[in-house]
Amino acid sequence: MAQLLAPGGSVEMACTAVDEGADIIYVGPLGFSRRPYESELTDAEIREVTEYTHAHGRETRVVLNTYPSPFEMDAFLAKAKAYADFGVSGFVVTDAGAIRALRKLIPDTFIHVSIGSGICNSHDADFYRSLGADVIILPYRWDVAEIAQTRHTSDIGLEVFLFETVQTGKICPGKCIMSSYLRFREWLDIEQKANFYGSANRGAKECYRVCQATWEFGTTDNPQPVEIKLRRDARLMLEQLPKFIDEGVTCFKLSGRERPVAMIRDLVRFYRKIMDSVLAGDRNLDRYADELAELRVRWVREKGKRLDNLMERANSYAA
Amino acid sequence: MFELSTEACNIKELREGDYSAYDATYLGDYSCPDYPNSFTSNADQLADGLELVKSRGQKCYLRLYAVPSNHDLPWVEDLIDTAMGMPFDGFEVHNLGLLRMLKKKGSTIPVHLGVFGNLYTHETARTLKDYGVTRVCPNPELSLKEIAYIAENTPIDVLVPVHGKIPLVISETCFIVEHSEQGCSNPDEPCNYLCASEHWLKRGRNDGSRADWSLKDTGRMTLSGKDLCMVEHAATLVQMGFNAFYVQSKGEGKDYVGNVGKIYREALDKAFAGEAAADYTPQVAYLGALAREGLCNGYYFESAGQRYFGRT
Repeated sequence: MAQLLAPGGSVEMACTAVDEGADIIYVGPLGFSRRPYESELTDAEIREVTEYTHAHGRETRVVLNTYPSPFEMDAFLAKAKAYADFGVSGFVVTDAGAIRALRKLIPDTFIHVSIGSGICNSHDADFYRSLGADVIILPYRWDVAEIAQTRHTSDIGLEVFLFETVQTGKICPGKCIMSSYLRFREWLDIEQKANFYGSANRGAKECYRVCQATWEFGTTDNPQPVEIKLRRDARLMLEQLPKFIDEGVTCFKLSGRERPVAMIRDLVRFYRKIMDSVLAGDRNLDRYADELAELRVRWVREKGKRLDNLMERANSYAA
Repeated sequence: MFELSTEACNIKELREGDYSAYDATYLGDYSCPDYPNSFTSNADQLADGLELVKSRGQKCYLRLYAVPSNHDLPWVEDLIDTAMGMPFDGFEVHNLGLLRMLKKKGSTIPVHLGVFGNLYTHETARTLKDYGVTRVCPNPELSLKEIAYIAENTPIDVLVPVHGKIPLVISETCFIVEHSEQGCSNPDEPCNYLCASEHWLKRGRNDGSRADWSLKDTGRMTLSGKDLCMVEHAATLVQMGFNAFYVQSKGEGKDYVGNVGKIYREALDKAFAGEAAADYTPQVAYLGALAREGLCNGYYFESAGQRYFGRT
């Protein structure tokens, strides 16, 4: 059965998403989930969310998708064990060694391979399955044919983000360290870390989304380089949903831990309605086009606000 | 005592460059299958490349494509099948799916995990050892202390890049082609090799209005604008127990690989001989002159990658 995963960037957001029909809430602990601390939760908050999801017959998964430092691997695993004891049903993980260690430590948990693992072909799925992962999130560019090929190669579960990505530009989750090359800041006290771990890939030091800033691009001998962004905005998905469900995708993930609660509330409500309709056999989603268009405008507007904020932060930190 | 290695994308570079300072060469371009006559995507080039490197008394490693999609897997597998029958000293793998493929094929050729393999932890190093990995190139974001910890706590060699631009991004499509009127828009058409001209991404106008950022772009890969430079820290690297070093030279002038290699050969020889650290001011000045945007130390000293720290 296909399930809807929704973000819990705050306790309020998590509870709202449950109320609107999300099957699974994913939350990130401070310093271990690739988001600014404002969108991560304390351990007490994770426990609170887990109690709420259980009370409503839903599940909580914890995003431990940083690449931990070798020096913090013990702390990483201890956190996972504590969350499992809270009753969370699984984890979203990036580091291959952490996946294997987590499977050994908590044999009955559910492990998602994070988009940050940089999966790009069906053999990757086979690799992560061999480590003990239960589901991979599919690369942004993939369509039905590649999903079918992966289904043929591995019995691992399949998950997709609920947005579609244009095919051009630098789309390279898990294969980019531009942001930390250019800037990063020190930890804040609230993030409960004191060591150097340098980048968004490694914890709460945010990615500044420099790929979505404007750059000048050209050859060294060209006096008039073009102004350009390295990638274009993704759009919320709709028409692909029935095909993906038919091909066996079981997890549909809504991103946006850093978005406003009202935005997540409306998106969960929308996609709950869509998924119920598709699962009931509906294949014509045209009547939802206007509603989707409105949500897309809001999505892009909120994203723009966040990007401006991130670039301001980047400029404020020393190189 | 130690190994100094570098790269050569095709036979032309291998013939024209001065590789005398090196102990080993990584053949191929892991970022772009269309790079002209790249060893990574042209199985018919492998024998000549291998023979030339071996004739120099060096070890020879073959690079595999770093981000193969399902569409690429057939030709990558053909190349692997060809190379498995040849005396390569190692395969460099960036993609864990290819690592799985090599294991299933029963390959006995040692595997080196490349820079885009995302090696951050000793746990991953131990995991990958079970897949035949004998050497890892850690993600550039790791500090020297973290790399040393991994080296000390896993039965795997660690490759430490010491000079050249830092690979920051790799993507499956070519950014240069996508944004050039002269580029081919149809993936089935031959590439026009617009990357032969240096392309740069710049942000900032030196007026304080924006950060002053520069990155070099080769189409499918974005590199640091500044050149990593560790010559002043050679003694530190030796004291920390490292013994495999690498010079990144993709996209540089043909004299770069030879001249940079000789500087590091001398510095590392002295460091391993226990000689007191020399004054490397002239070498740093020379290396700085080769680097269009200056020098940096990457993340080795626990900072944003583009900073440079002197020895003292």
